[in-house]
Amino acid sequence: MMDNVTLITFIIYLVGMLVIGIIAFRLTKNLSDYVLGGRNLGGSVAALSAGASDMSSWLLLGLPGAMYVGGMNQIWLAIGLAVGAYLNWQFVAKRLRTYTEVAKDSITIPDFLENRFRDKSRILRVISALVILIFFTFYTSAGLVGGAVLFEQSFGIDYQSALWIGAIVIISYTFLGGFLAVSWTDFFQGILMFIALIIVPIAAINAIGGWNEVVSKVGDIDPGYLNAFTDTTAIGIISLLAWGLGYFGQPHIITRFMAIKSTKEIPKARFVGMSWMVFALYGAIFTGFTGIAYYAEAPLENAETVFIAFTQELFNPWIAGILLAAILSAIMSTIDSQLLVSSSAVAEDFYKGIFRKNASQKELVWVGRIAVIIIAIIAIVIAQDPESRVLDLVGYAWAGFGAAFGPIIVLSLFWKRTTREGAIAGMVIGALTVIIWAQLEGGMFDLYEIVPGFILGTVVIIVVSLIVGSPTNPTKEVREEFKVATKR
Amino acid sequence: MMEQETINAATWGWLLIPMLSVVLLSLITFFTERGE
Repeated sequence: MMDNVTLITFIIYLVGMLVIGIIAFRLTKNLSDYVLGGRNLGGSVAALSAGASDMSSWLLLGLPGAMYVGGMNQIWLAIGLAVGAYLNWQFVAKRLRTYTEVAKDSITIPDFLENRFRDKSRILRVISALVILIFFTFYTSAGLVGGAVLFEQSFGIDYQSALWIGAIVIISYTFLGGFLAVSWTDFFQGILMFIALIIVPIAAINAIGGWNEVVSKVGDIDPGYLNAFTDTTAIGIISLLAWGLGYFGQPHIITRFMAIKSTKEIPKARFVGMSWMVFALYGAIFTGFTGIAYYAEAPLENAETVFIAFTQELFNPWIAGILLAAILSAIMSTIDSQLLVSSSAVAEDFYKGIFRKNASQKELVWVGRIAVIIIAIIAIVIAQDPESRVLDLVGYAWAGFGAAFGPIIVLSLFWKRTTREGAIAGMVIGALTVIIWAQLEGGMFDLYEIVPGFILGTVVIIVVSLIVGSPTNPTKEVREEFKVATKR
Repeated sequence: MMEQETINAATWGWLLIPMLSVVLLSLITFFTERGE
């Protein structure tokens, strides 16, 4: 019964999203429309779209899983993210929106960097496209692991089959409709995720007999679960808080800032976005925490299934089906945005940029599609390991973008003297630090790789810019741009 | 009787204050920046 009903709700949900996609597609006229919704998103749509693209399966599987395993000492992750997201909305959103328009109406991050630094060599474009390809592959892999866990639990099939079925559903959806008006489907998906994250923990707390009962049960198992400072170290707390640094460099999130209708919409978007995010984070936190008490006698094999287990046990199959569709929502709303960015990186930045400068639009569309399939296959290979965890894969990709793009996005918007050479060196060093640091273990290497990556990236950009910057730097053009970008 | 375990004040403080503050700040700036 459960399986069939879940399947039916999944199908209804997918058809619904496809219809929204098709309607929005009919309103799409050109490439800028396609990538940025023609810079015409209202505040609320932009806010929930940024939120839904940001909070992948991570929010419904990863964070509850971390809380379920560690208890209150994991709250630092949510605090870091909320503060980071706020700073991003407060300081980066408006400036990025205006500057990308001033900089030859750039519609992607590689575009913006090339125009901002007047790079004719295409090196900046190629390096940023490479960073996008490497880290989005891991990110996509995290989504596919989430999909596999969801299908494994919902339909009782083994992990490998679930991975393939999940991947085929997710990728074919992305092909058919996901690229169409990603922002609008994200908006509905954001609402569904929000509702799920409010009602699941409430139902779970009720099932145990109230909040006090939950706390006392968790305390009986291990009082350490109740304290944010036990069973952790300063390095542990800093590592979790440092997730917040990642926001400035996530291409799939900051492109939503660029798509917003006008800077006047930003205060509203910020408020809607932050409210959505903070309450969703609380929902995830309390879901995982309550899970410690609920599954005390029969611990879950995979901690990241705690949200799924609750929906299956506490709700009638129809409601459970909708709630599980929310997880699928979360996964798809992130993967579609990421594959869109990755395919444009391959088609526009590599193929057209290096190999075939005169490639036709039709040719580029096909190159983009083939790229999506290759990226998906590599992501499936990474996801093969049944021990892979959504949180670990997301953590790696998050650090990669945060360290490679974060410092250069912030500095290019706020420091006129940033140079092309500084940008290239900073991105390379940021990305390499993350890749190398993640391989090392023990002592200070237990620190989350985004911290050294972000710091080194920033230092390198500043030092290199100061050393190689010519006396005429910043040029008159850049000064003018800054004037326009900051005035609006 | 065994003493009942509770979540301590510091943990509650950290759980609530930073996250609710950013919502509050974004609400305040929503009203102050809107007129600009």
